[in-house]
Amino acid sequence: MAPEPTPLLSVKDLTVDFKKGRQVVQAVAGISFDVYEGETLGLVGESGCGKSTTGRAIVRIEEPTSGEVSVAGTALTGLRRNDLRRARTSIQMIFQDPVSSLNPRRRVKDIVAEPLDIWGTETGDQRVATVREMLEAVGLDPDVAGDRFPREFSGGQCQRISIARALVMKPKVLICDEMVSALDVSVQAQILNLVEDLKAKYGLTLVFIAHDLAVVKNVSDRVAVMYLGRLCEVAPSDDLYALPAHPYTQALLTAVVEPDPEKATAHVTLTGEPPSPINPPSGCRFRTRCPKAQEQCALEVPELREIAPRHQVACHFPTLRP
Amino acid sequence: MSSTTDAAPTSESLAGTPAAPKEKSALGKIFWISIIWIGLVFLLAIVASWIGLDDPNNGNFALINSSPSWSHPFGTDDLGRDILSRVIYGARVSLIVGFGAMAIGMGLGGTLGMIAAYRRGAVDTLVSAASYVMLAFPALVAVIAIVAFWGHDIWKITIIVGIASTPLVYRVVRAATLSYATREFVTAAKAQGATDTRILTRELLPNVLPTIISYFLIGVATVIILEGALAFLGLSVPAPTASWGNMINESRTYLSDNPWLALFPSMAMFLFLIALNLVGDVLRQSFDVQESKL
Amino acid sequence: MSTEQSTTDFPTTEELSGPLLTVKDLRTTFSTPRGDLTAVDGVSLELGRGETLGIVGESGSGKTVLSRSIMGLLPRSKTTQTGSILFEGTEIVGAEDAVLRDIWGAKIAMVFQDPMTSLNPVVRIQRQITESLRLHTSMDKAEAKATAISLLGQVGIPSPAERVRAYPFQLSGGMRQRVTIAIALACSPRLLLADEPTTGLDVTVQAQILDLLSSLQAERHMAVILVTHDLGVVATRTDRIAVMYAGHIVEMASTKRLFASMAMPYTQALLRSTPRISDPSHTRLTAIDGRPPDLINPPTGCAFAPRCTYATDQCRTEAPPLRTAPEDPTHLFACWNPLQTGHAGSVTTSKGEN
Repeated sequence: MAPEPTPLLSVKDLTVDFKKGRQVVQAVAGISFDVYEGETLGLVGESGCGKSTTGRAIVRIEEPTSGEVSVAGTALTGLRRNDLRRARTSIQMIFQDPVSSLNPRRRVKDIVAEPLDIWGTETGDQRVATVREMLEAVGLDPDVAGDRFPREFSGGQCQRISIARALVMKPKVLICDEMVSALDVSVQAQILNLVEDLKAKYGLTLVFIAHDLAVVKNVSDRVAVMYLGRLCEVAPSDDLYALPAHPYTQALLTAVVEPDPEKATAHVTLTGEPPSPINPPSGCRFRTRCPKAQEQCALEVPELREIAPRHQVACHFPTLRP
Repeated sequence: MSSTTDAAPTSESLAGTPAAPKEKSALGKIFWISIIWIGLVFLLAIVASWIGLDDPNNGNFALINSSPSWSHPFGTDDLGRDILSRVIYGARVSLIVGFGAMAIGMGLGGTLGMIAAYRRGAVDTLVSAASYVMLAFPALVAVIAIVAFWGHDIWKITIIVGIASTPLVYRVVRAATLSYATREFVTAAKAQGATDTRILTRELLPNVLPTIISYFLIGVATVIILEGALAFLGLSVPAPTASWGNMINESRTYLSDNPWLALFPSMAMFLFLIALNLVGDVLRQSFDVQESKL
Repeated sequence: MSTEQSTTDFPTTEELSGPLLTVKDLRTTFSTPRGDLTAVDGVSLELGRGETLGIVGESGSGKTVLSRSIMGLLPRSKTTQTGSILFEGTEIVGAEDAVLRDIWGAKIAMVFQDPMTSLNPVVRIQRQITESLRLHTSMDKAEAKATAISLLGQVGIPSPAERVRAYPFQLSGGMRQRVTIAIALACSPRLLLADEPTTGLDVTVQAQILDLLSSLQAERHMAVILVTHDLGVVATRTDRIAVMYAGHIVEMASTKRLFASMAMPYTQALLRSTPRISDPSHTRLTAIDGRPPDLINPPTGCAFAPRCTYATDQCRTEAPPLRTAPEDPTHLFACWNPLQTGHAGSVTTSKGEN
């Protein structure tokens, strides 16, 4: 049997705390996952679950309080300033707000070339050529778009520019933080298709963070579900959606609206709202809303265990497959 | 049929957005007149020595307090000095003190403001606290006291006023920078490995510059008035050097005899200040409009 | 949940029989520095009592302007409105402020998209609800407070008696949206306009809010117009759906019919570009090329033609009129080459009009 390939991105026991006045909010409470080369890991959860914070902590835009993040074997956490700066080129991020992600006073071609300028890797004609190649790759005409300013573009086009900028240094890993959440449905579809195409063309590895379950399923190979700073379940996309094992995942899926009037609106089993992350429940954080909660859930934090090939659940009473 | 082409902006959709052309040219005329006036004042002040003006500091005693005439277009003052000449030489003081002090203020306050807004944390807290303290102190009183103590030649005044204006500039620039520092393009730059210096100069500064420029001009106007106030207390540049403030101050005694003494320097100052304010305002408006299109 | 004692007058028998809302040929134009922008271009529709209409469209389709026009909420300056909006016999277009004030809150109410900005951050929830009550009914302070608490309970806010004194920032997003619904329902309006009420909320909260709207509507026999970009939201909760594009209604039909036999290529394209949970992962989405047209200089012919895979020359030169499907007179669409039928000739057109 061939050995498991080493993961390209490895996250171990990542914790991110925020200080709110005198209180400490554990936005991310010790999560671990691996992303293998060429795959897309979807990270999904409701607002406040810590998925965006996780993305930002991986890139160290937010400082992790503890834990380890490594890309291609090199640990990102623990790097000092200049080393960190250099390591940044291997892992890039795309943000949610397409317009605010671009400097309004710079031309598109300069925005896309920025990483090249920072690192001086390409100059002159080569630089121009790379910028052209990137703009074309994302579906923009470099002659028309290059000299313009971000304000002259729509949300979808701005997001394409951000993608071009992120890919110019040929990063190994791309973190997409709610990148289509602010876009219209038809534009969203264009961008999702674009991401799939670019992933194939450049051999990218993606972490796709979103709250829309259908979008995440569409784009991911594996999906990780987060709740209140912890991972609930990690599984290949089709498995997760077809045979969810964690009660939270199951409840989440009942709430999804499908554009099909024949599908009766399923009874949403999830009531109320997530508790505040300042005072999370002891043991399993989902137990206050879980139909299966029992004494053990309050006492013991469930760890991620594998219940089927590549399917892990953090639950004391998961729904196992027959 | 999969296509990822999202047509780049077509020529129709980008057809020049001439923002209400009629409105703009009305404002535009005043704007350009002001610019020209400011330029003219600068020019005259620089070439004052070479255009054959009468000596501003030594007068012809035979002609004291005379009304405007061909040889003395603005008349003469109580010591027989040519007022036109004194007004032009006096511009030098206003320009040096005005622009010089604001340059110091912008340099110090602006840099600190940008750094504080970007870095936040301890730097921000400390410097902001210091600026609060300084702002709470009546600036005018402080300037008067220090000038009286240290000495009032043109360079000392410039430095003192410059430092006094730092806290206000700091707060303005900090506020302007804050609104950009939180935007994601700054985070994106950081994620690409840009150094802090690069982010400050290449990402933030171009966005904050319009605000800086328009406040700069308005600040210059304020400093020029401040020089006038110092002159009234006898703390501006020492006699016999001409400055607008000095001239207005001296003219007080002779107001009934020779109103021209007061009129010309006041007009010069008034027109120059209006021009500065107008240009600053128009710049601010046009940058706001651009901003809203973003 | 007890049925709310309506303190507004009951409709007369004449009013009860006719449609609640009739919009005829509404055209709303804004004058901008670049030119006149026609956000709503000749929209007509009818809404009966207790009916739910979904208006679906992307940004720039005119759906929000339409909902605000119906309510009469557009700014006065730089706005031109032609056409007619008849609500229970009262004309909204060009109505006086006094007339509109009587209607707002009491007869038509609106729930907006972002509860953070639609609630006054410095006013307690109680006052935001009772304001409407005190204005339109003869309740005194105590009665109004009691009604407010009861309303909060009906919209599913736990411990309403305590929460009523809270400020908006003390509540979560879902709670705030429930509060806006409570405010809207305070005077038992006949028509509720919900403009993207769940966009931005979590999927579980979204489901809860939509269920809440449905149950409240059934209880109060209230008509609802649900404006959204999400076809999933309208699929199971509306009686009829109108699809908007570039200021026009391009298709309108009963919900079941729309999904079963949609005629407009745009509707189909919209549906196909939405990722679905039931699809396997990595399903290629059929994205619509290009972007919505510039509403200041709209193209000649059909507004969707530049992006339509079925477009013909006729589509590019002549704007198709809204006509009925032969099998179902309540199904309207504006297309020269509708789906299902194949080509224009086989569908009876209503070119005979004016």
